[in-house]
Amino acid sequence: MNLSPRIVPLDSLPRELKSAVQPHGEWRLGLLTSLDGSQLITLLLQPVTGEIQLWESPIEGNRYHSLTDFGIPQAHWFERGLADLFGLFPEGHPRLKHLLMHDQYPVNFHPLRKTPLSPEENPFSTRRFPFLEVSGEGVFELPVGPIHAGVIEPGHFRFSCFGETILNLEIMLGWVHRGVEKRMTEVPWQRARFVAEAAAGDTVIANALAHSIVVESLLEVEVPRRAQLVRTIALELERLAMHIIDVGGLATDIGLLGIAASMSRLRGKALGMGERLTGTRFMKAFVQPGGVRKADEAALSFIGKGVQELRKDVPPAIDMLFGVQAARERMSVGKVSHSLAVEFGFVGILGRGSGVEYDARTVFPHGAYPQLAPKPVIEQNGDIRSRGKIRAGEISSSLDVIAAALDELTDGPICADLPRNLPADKFSCAIVEAFRGELIHLACTDKNGAFHRYAIKDPSFNNWTAISIAIRNNLIADFPLCNKSMSLSYSGNDL
Amino acid sequence: MLSFAVGQALQIVAQCVGLVVSLMVIPPITVGTIRKIKARLQNRIGAPLFQPFFDLRKLSMKGETVSKETSWLFRATAVINLSIMLLLACLVPWLSFTPAVFGCDLFLIIYLFALSRFFTVLSALDSGSAFSGFGASREVTLALLVEPAIVLCLASLGVAFHSSDLCTVFSFTNTAPVPWILWFLAGSGLFLTSLIELSRMPVDDPTTHLELTMVHEAMILENSGTNLALIEYTHFLKLAVLLGLSTQCILHALMTRGIADELVRGVASLVGIGILALTIAVIESTAVKMRWSKVPEFIAYPVAISLLCMLIAVLRWTK
Repeated sequence: MNLSPRIVPLDSLPRELKSAVQPHGEWRLGLLTSLDGSQLITLLLQPVTGEIQLWESPIEGNRYHSLTDFGIPQAHWFERGLADLFGLFPEGHPRLKHLLMHDQYPVNFHPLRKTPLSPEENPFSTRRFPFLEVSGEGVFELPVGPIHAGVIEPGHFRFSCFGETILNLEIMLGWVHRGVEKRMTEVPWQRARFVAEAAAGDTVIANALAHSIVVESLLEVEVPRRAQLVRTIALELERLAMHIIDVGGLATDIGLLGIAASMSRLRGKALGMGERLTGTRFMKAFVQPGGVRKADEAALSFIGKGVQELRKDVPPAIDMLFGVQAARERMSVGKVSHSLAVEFGFVGILGRGSGVEYDARTVFPHGAYPQLAPKPVIEQNGDIRSRGKIRAGEISSSLDVIAAALDELTDGPICADLPRNLPADKFSCAIVEAFRGELIHLACTDKNGAFHRYAIKDPSFNNWTAISIAIRNNLIADFPLCNKSMSLSYSGNDL
Repeated sequence: MLSFAVGQALQIVAQCVGLVVSLMVIPPITVGTIRKIKARLQNRIGAPLFQPFFDLRKLSMKGETVSKETSWLFRATAVINLSIMLLLACLVPWLSFTPAVFGCDLFLIIYLFALSRFFTVLSALDSGSAFSGFGASREVTLALLVEPAIVLCLASLGVAFHSSDLCTVFSFTNTAPVPWILWFLAGSGLFLTSLIELSRMPVDDPTTHLELTMVHEAMILENSGTNLALIEYTHFLKLAVLLGLSTQCILHALMTRGIADELVRGVASLVGIGILALTIAVIESTAVKMRWSKVPEFIAYPVAISLLCMLIAVLRWTK
């Protein structure tokens, strides 16, 4: 939806932001970024009423007082990103380290900044990443990654352990930083959707949808109803496939290989439905600004049949996983408390697993939402099992949504015609519930109608902190299971 | 007279050839069987039965990467452990025929197993990797808990026979001194301890790729190529020997009278190993890998069984 920024002076930003996000999450901090390094852009979301506010705070020079330091932990990673990408230095930040840029980049390189900094202004004198050192007799450090066993993305974990117990976990990301946000502003806007889809390879539909909504609202184009419903079906198919394999992943790590094998078969089925609809298993190049590329009747009735089969096949496997006593015990760790979830603004599965009632589908319009939005699945315990239960609940609610959308489908156009040019000097944003949680795209056009700045906030960006919190004082051997229960994206964070 | 001597010599030669062939063939096939059954239980077709052979061949053709930080011990361990395990396989009556002329003392067996573990742990520490380090720490913790169970299981049989020579104990000719329940308990105790010794579920997951949860695999992460092939083969051999030993106990429990026919014994032993392999596959397909802190509770079972064995044996001794 289109937004116009309200000017909030930098001096009053901390006070205003603090009173908005507290007490206890009236508003949440959606994005904290900048356009070109000479202002702070704050996107605030109201998770109950669906209001959105955009604040702009001009900055003189490149220093401002850290918002994290005012007791706003949600700003913690955003400020690290601002320092890396824009060279904006948050004074008084409690743990300022690089987030995305490693030591192969020159020290004074800030990719999204328009006017270069002189070396004296540069906040960093080194690209070194100082890990928190825990000392004491018997404490040792265990470095894991960035290359892991198995086909997953890179990330470095530094465990400080005492025997088998984890005292502290520090995560170093940024290994797959590809400059997605900068690239979005470099390609012609008609082709930007292919870049947006590549932000996270397993969140293709959600990213494509968010991008399409941004472009459509800039162009003020109405999307045909049939296209909205097909987009919803595609988004839910993505959620379905990923939730199924993530539940299967829990079974693999616990050692219940039979259940894991069933889950990967069923996930193949969900991906197959996506392939039938879009032509590729991960549904690339399908959702486009204006509508969708194709919507074949045969494919839609195939999906209808597939939904019936999954309804029959998925629940027994999941029930078996949650029914095994020893599995329940394995899944009783990795707690994230409700208060921390609110304070750090965890989204998606993680937030709902800790009792945060926030599902972007019920609040923010995208696809056929919020009309078709299912009731959010909420669990209170905040442990691995809660998160697994939420995935299980969302698998069945996704199946319901797909069935409902298929019922409602009528004939009609599937793509609207688009004007050739984007309007100048406009802000637009989209909020989509990807399978990991709230995904935000924010775009700003320049005076020529090209993207001046395109910001993407992947749900994992909020949630990475949670894993360090959840695993503290637990056993090292429980880390993989805990990690799997959150199933965070490296590339979505690194962009 | 002469023809009798020739016949006896031929028999010994045949036994030796049989043993060597068994040593080369049985261990990989046992592992292949476990993997195949596991795959079938998951509705997968699974790798061929002979896949472990192909894997060993593939590994032995690969080049080896050795860290500059390691000493001679790192590479020597694979050979040392293979020698120890081959010696054990020749001494321990894990198949019903052993051509070994010298006896096999049960304490010798236990110390040979411990020696092999000692070298594995040293080599893991030598590699200097953090994973190997905590793999080694976990292995030693497990060994500490499990060793009493093995010692007591075997020693209880020794007490019953008034002999510490396992060849006398597992001779099939005279099962009289031992009631079937003792054989059976010793067999199941040995089987449970071998699950832990062999890093199978529910203590360790042999198929896992997660470094943080491994025990045995974590220690050999740094090994590659031929070195890894030797380690793998040694592990297969250990599996076959330990399962074979449990099988012998169970077979003795089932056979109240001695069986003279060696062919029947041999076939029964092989079938027994197959059944235990099936049991492992079923356990691994249905069991949950335990939390590390709960592992001692599982180890308590074999320890309790071994104590019971010892109790029975001692009571009979005093009678």
